[in-house]
Amino acid sequence: MRQKLRWKPWFYCVPALLLIFIVIVFPIAYTGYISLTNMNLYHWTDYGFIGFDNYARALFKFDSGFLAALGTTLVWTVLNMAIQIGLGFFIALGLNAPGLRLKRVYKTLLMVPWAVPAYISILLWRVGMFNTEFGILNKFLAMLGLGKVDFLASNGIAFLSCMALNLWMALPFMISTIDGALQSVDGSLYESATLDGAGFWVRTWSITVPAIRPIIAPAAVMTTFITFKQFDIIYLLTQQRGYMTGATLNTVITYAHQNAFASNNYGLSSAVSMLLFVVIILFSILTNRSLRED
Amino acid sequence: MKKVTALLLALALCFAVLAGCSQSDPQDSGAPSSNPSQSNNPPTAPVTITIWHDGDEGIMQTIADQVNAQLAADQITVVFEKKTDMPNQLKLYGSDAVNAPDMYFYAHDVLGSFVAMDILAPLSDVVDTGILADHLSMTVEAGQIGGTQYLLPVYFETLVFLYNKALWEGDIPDTTEALYDYMVAHTDTAAGTYAVVNQHTNAYNVSPFINGFGGYIIDETAKPGLNDPKTIEAATYNQKFGALQADGDYNTVTTLFNEGKAAAIIGGPWLVSGIEAAGIDYGIASLSDIKLPNGNGLAPFSGIQGAGVLKVALAEKKDALAKVLTAMASPEVGVDLANKSGCAPANNKSYDDPQVAAKEMITIIQKTASTAQPMPNIPEMGSMWGPVETMLTAINKNGTDPAQAAVDAQAAAEQAIADMQ
Repeated sequence: MRQKLRWKPWFYCVPALLLIFIVIVFPIAYTGYISLTNMNLYHWTDYGFIGFDNYARALFKFDSGFLAALGTTLVWTVLNMAIQIGLGFFIALGLNAPGLRLKRVYKTLLMVPWAVPAYISILLWRVGMFNTEFGILNKFLAMLGLGKVDFLASNGIAFLSCMALNLWMALPFMISTIDGALQSVDGSLYESATLDGAGFWVRTWSITVPAIRPIIAPAAVMTTFITFKQFDIIYLLTQQRGYMTGATLNTVITYAHQNAFASNNYGLSSAVSMLLFVVIILFSILTNRSLRED
Repeated sequence: MKKVTALLLALALCFAVLAGCSQSDPQDSGAPSSNPSQSNNPPTAPVTITIWHDGDEGIMQTIADQVNAQLAADQITVVFEKKTDMPNQLKLYGSDAVNAPDMYFYAHDVLGSFVAMDILAPLSDVVDTGILADHLSMTVEAGQIGGTQYLLPVYFETLVFLYNKALWEGDIPDTTEALYDYMVAHTDTAAGTYAVVNQHTNAYNVSPFINGFGGYIIDETAKPGLNDPKTIEAATYNQKFGALQADGDYNTVTTLFNEGKAAAIIGGPWLVSGIEAAGIDYGIASLSDIKLPNGNGLAPFSGIQGAGVLKVALAEKKDALAKVLTAMASPEVGVDLANKSGCAPANNKSYDDPQVAAKEMITIIQKTASTAQPMPNIPEMGSMWGPVETMLTAINKNGTDPAQAAVDAQAAAEQAIADMQ
């Protein structure tokens, strides 16, 4: 009887486990398998096992360019997350201010950037905001009598431009998460604190932040990974074929794409992917450990 | 009872999850591409030939209408299916008998990659290549890899000089130096008005300079030529034009021209529909009439658009494919393409039609063909666009020393080619 009970829960989970296996585990395992073969343009169907040769070549690609890209990625992740959480927190607090009218309208409008497909948003910003001839930013500068600025031409300004777009696209998620968390804080705590003479900052720091931290932590971790492996914003704004802007900005993912994925060498690309997978897993373990310590 | 229901539901879910992994029998599928004429079927059985493309749907419809009309009695129907990023889709499905199309229609520069992947059938395996006897030799050669014909050329395109007759003052200069002087006198970058715009960091659009100076991007032995002195000379010379040509991306330059903020644009026939829609009275000049300081005319790349046959389609549709290729090679397809879509036909006999001969765009393209060079079609060409454009961007937008940019780009190109292996 006990034996029967032991396998039954597993059986109920089989459909979900199968889905997870097909959608998540199998692609990773298959990428691992391809990384051990010479599958490329010249061996499209007749590829064979070549051991760890691709890994040796992939490690060679983790050169100074890769280290610079890793540095950029870390700065990109830290800055984006700090601003997203900080700004998202204060905007959410503002949306929960007592007496604020049309709250629902503001919240709906703030969701719009998140609802627009990323590709569309990026193209809109590239042409509508940053373009030197038609972009709204340059129109404003012209109205002020200032010269044109190419917002994507060099690394510094391109980094800030990409970050502005990333924040525009990512803030709605953070705001809605924090907004949801704020609803769960017991209002009587604020009333007691106010009676004790606590001001806005003391209430925020001593009540709000500790109360919402466990709720927003998973969202923050998830967003950190999305930000870390950011590809489309930097690629589509600065590196797309036929539209290279002059910035040589690279994150680890755009660097890997530039150096391995454009070659149609699936074996090599898979090896680079597997190594990046290991880097992200290590990053994940470190993040989870620090969360547990919190 | 509840437990039994739950177990049954779990079992049903398992089957549902796995159902998507099943392989469909092509003969059972309702898709048009999987409706082959079996060899034991009567010869009159209807056959559908599916062709993937990533081009203008109007052009494909013109081809389909003419071919289908010619093959109506044979009950053969050609269906064009537009696929975004078609070359990569074909790389994924090209050897898959169930999902692959029967043919594809695309420019010749990706031909080498498909041949290297061994997904294409030589045309001689399908049809007598004598059907190409009347075709322009440049277009025929562009469809060959290692002397074997894989692509049936249908039409070709190249860059021309398009100008707004209401804005352009005087004649079109006959030298690049005179053109540059005109640009200096008629460009106000601060006000956003330009004499000539061009995608000056795009390798295809800078090819008139590179080829005209005698430089090259990659030769037939797959050796990149980015640090060749003549390529560097061309990139350096292009730099001063780039400084007067706005940002240089496709949308920016075409909008500037269509909105009357640029008097001329270097582009191809694909711009014409937008220009006409904008109501611009435009003129066309051949780039080969504009001479570089070395006396050579500007020599743009030409792209030959044509059709190839997938190996996986041969077994069941060989006869139908032969008839489709023969119809596509006919002068009538070229005449229709020229008259309805402004394309320059690959079949020389199409130019005997008085309407085709009278079309300005087509005669200019035909004239430019005298200096135009077909894009390289070896597999390694696919790895060259990135390094070339990085080099041009570094020179034109970052002010990098051309020689240094060329050395860096050459190294990147050699690495990219090595990575293909």
